[in-house]
Amino acid sequence: MQISKSQLHDWLVIHIEGQVDSKTSSKLNDYLAQELDNATNVALDLRQVPFMSSAGLRTLLLLYRRVETSGAALALVGLAAEIADTMKVTGFYDFFIVLPDLDSLQTSNKST
Amino acid sequence: MDRIDSLPTDNISGLRVRPGKPLPFGVSHVPGGLNFSVYTSAGECCTLVLFRQGAPEPFAELPFPSHYRIGDVFCMVVFGLDFEDLEYGFRIDGPFKPEKGDRFDPTQILMDPHARLIAGRDVWGQDPDWQRSYPYRARVSLDDFDWQGERPLEIPMQNLVIYETHVRAYTQSPTAETAHPGTYAGLVEKIPYLKQLGINAIELMPVFEFDEFENSRLHPETGERLYNFWGYSTVGFFAPKAGYAATGKSGMQVDEFKQLVKSFHKADIEVILDVVFNHTAEGNERGPTLSFKGLDNKTYYMLTPEGYYFNFSGTGNTLNCNNPIVRSLVLDCLRYWASEYHIDGFRFDLATILGRDPWGAPLSNPPLLESLAFDPILSSCKLIAEAWDAGGLYQVGTFPAFGRWAEWNGLYRDSVRRYLKGDAGMVGQIAQRVLGSPDLYRMSGRAPATSVNFITCHDGFTLADLVSYNDKHNEANGEGNRDGGDDNHSWNCGAEGWTENFGIQQLRRRQMMNAFAILLTSRGTPMLLMGDEFGRSQHGNNNAYCIDSPLTWVDWTLLKSNADLQAMVQALIAFRHQHPALRVNRFDGPPSSLLPCSSFHGSTAWQPDWSGESRQLAWMLSCDHQTPAGDATVDIVYVGTNMAHFASWFTLPTAPEGYGWHLCFNTGDNQQPIQGDQPRIDSGLLVGERSVVILQATPTPSPMG
Repeated sequence: MQISKSQLHDWLVIHIEGQVDSKTSSKLNDYLAQELDNATNVALDLRQVPFMSSAGLRTLLLLYRRVETSGAALALVGLAAEIADTMKVTGFYDFFIVLPDLDSLQTSNKST
Repeated sequence: MDRIDSLPTDNISGLRVRPGKPLPFGVSHVPGGLNFSVYTSAGECCTLVLFRQGAPEPFAELPFPSHYRIGDVFCMVVFGLDFEDLEYGFRIDGPFKPEKGDRFDPTQILMDPHARLIAGRDVWGQDPDWQRSYPYRARVSLDDFDWQGERPLEIPMQNLVIYETHVRAYTQSPTAETAHPGTYAGLVEKIPYLKQLGINAIELMPVFEFDEFENSRLHPETGERLYNFWGYSTVGFFAPKAGYAATGKSGMQVDEFKQLVKSFHKADIEVILDVVFNHTAEGNERGPTLSFKGLDNKTYYMLTPEGYYFNFSGTGNTLNCNNPIVRSLVLDCLRYWASEYHIDGFRFDLATILGRDPWGAPLSNPPLLESLAFDPILSSCKLIAEAWDAGGLYQVGTFPAFGRWAEWNGLYRDSVRRYLKGDAGMVGQIAQRVLGSPDLYRMSGRAPATSVNFITCHDGFTLADLVSYNDKHNEANGEGNRDGGDDNHSWNCGAEGWTENFGIQQLRRRQMMNAFAILLTSRGTPMLLMGDEFGRSQHGNNNAYCIDSPLTWVDWTLLKSNADLQAMVQALIAFRHQHPALRVNRFDGPPSSLLPCSSFHGSTAWQPDWSGESRQLAWMLSCDHQTPAGDATVDIVYVGTNMAHFASWFTLPTAPEGYGWHLCFNTGDNQQPIQGDQPRIDSGLLVGERSVVILQATPTPSPMG
């Protein structure tokens, strides 16, 4: 799994490549812990993530809780259909702003 | 600060470990590792066996050192494991002396009886690798679901309308038009329908992990594959069935099932589980060794003095429920489902077995039933017994209830079925049934809601089949039509099975409406079978436990073709929710300000005909209550039933002053439910042959406005 970051409008975009599971989720967790020291809106670019295991989805929810506490927004961008479906039937989906692509970030309202 | 016990002390088979803690049993997360705990009273040594997910062979086997044992419990913390990519089991060595009840066999890898997540049957009906050792594999679950404040609903029992459902059968048919057929997620997609129907509790046939391939075979004539479809044979008591989860292949059935409960609760519908503690999937001495047999055979099973298995369940073995160890296991299990899954209630399959002593004799004060009744975590859970077993013990009315237990009322089913088809001598019986069976429950101080009233359930005919078949037609089960009950009390209305005869079709439709009308105006707790509200048929099969095909799957096209029946049922459920008089939960309920709490009538008001040839009975139910606006009012409902083959004029009891009768339902009228204004009825009405009328008395608007 590869992680990089960029800035788009007022969003911190974290680009992830590869699958997120129990082997890689702690790496993602550590990375996010470093980056999230202030109330920034965070977008996770998941276009290059083909699979997320149960542990991967839990990392997302933990991140959501952290960002929510700081009063900022969290968006998931480019979620693969199968991951989105798994998230829907297991209840993870309801927590997130889900956007099809990075362009949508411009129009997204932080308060939604 | 790190805990002292977060560091390993030993190295076994290349893994870092330290002595564990005996509680909780099973596997649990501790800092840096996983704590494994398993007990065996007669096992001498134990080995923890670890697999990577799906691997044919284990990657490590860790014998428990002797100082890792506390009492009869072996416990160990293993550090540095990837919990997602892990399957674990145990080997236990000890004596193999079946005549003494011991069947230890260290060549077998045993599943953790407390396993909360089980792999091996991840996708329903997908052929497993039959050669693989250790077929059902314990995995590690996190149990960290985000409920967002959702809690069990705690709807009073007497206000429930229960709907019995099979997860797969409900949405597997393409006609269900769900995105996830046959799964928990598919069932969630049907919540809007169930909400509209008006039920407020769903009772799920077994969802504890079971193996659909258990006793699977090909039909001797058709070659069709037969399954363990119903699932009354538990593999793991703490794990939801993976094959019922759309996400079972990624091992997320725990989250998916919790999301199901959360979704139902959001819709104000309770979730009740049908639980099977009377036996397990290990069968008798010829069955497989999966877990209990190899862990502590004589503790878990009722054995004859020669070491054979007692078979009170009719399925090979009998769980030794009143052994203290097994009792704890059952209690642990139910507490887990109540606290971790927010389950609202449990229906116990063949619950009578839970009251037998280790030698099979019925106990007068069964400790397990008592423990469940008084448990602090289960205190608001519904406990519902199927109060009979396959060993011939029938306890409807005498099940040890401890003031808490409700029962499936088999007598309600039989009495109403017989009354519906016009049997003589039923009127007295019906009078008991519609008041919650005081003849069964009053003496022991129980309440009407003790009685779960039902006419059909998964076991037996569907309602449409009850009015279409005199005899069972179980050929599809591959046992030459020998299986299934013969005491169905059914009547085909003039032709066996499907018929073109319009008159017969009309009569069947009316009989179904009659059944629902009686069921939903009886005191007690009504239960409906899935799909009966739109005439679901199993073509006369009254024991379709092994059929996974359109025969058992709910056919949702019937919702359109029998829309009138469905609308009637929906209206009847709404009527029940609107009328507290139908839900009075006392046998000696106080009279309302105007009328007795209950009274019986015949075709003449206040004069029921109790004679053997009478096939007419009416009941009037009343109680005081407050409208949602806070106004004091009196609820009055009259139900007139005529199961004779001729129409009769029923005179109504005079409505109290200021009240007038309105006709709400008349199954003898084709236009049901009644649309628009309910017709005012003055002194009486003609009740057609084999028909039911339901009226309410409401305050007449005063002329002054």
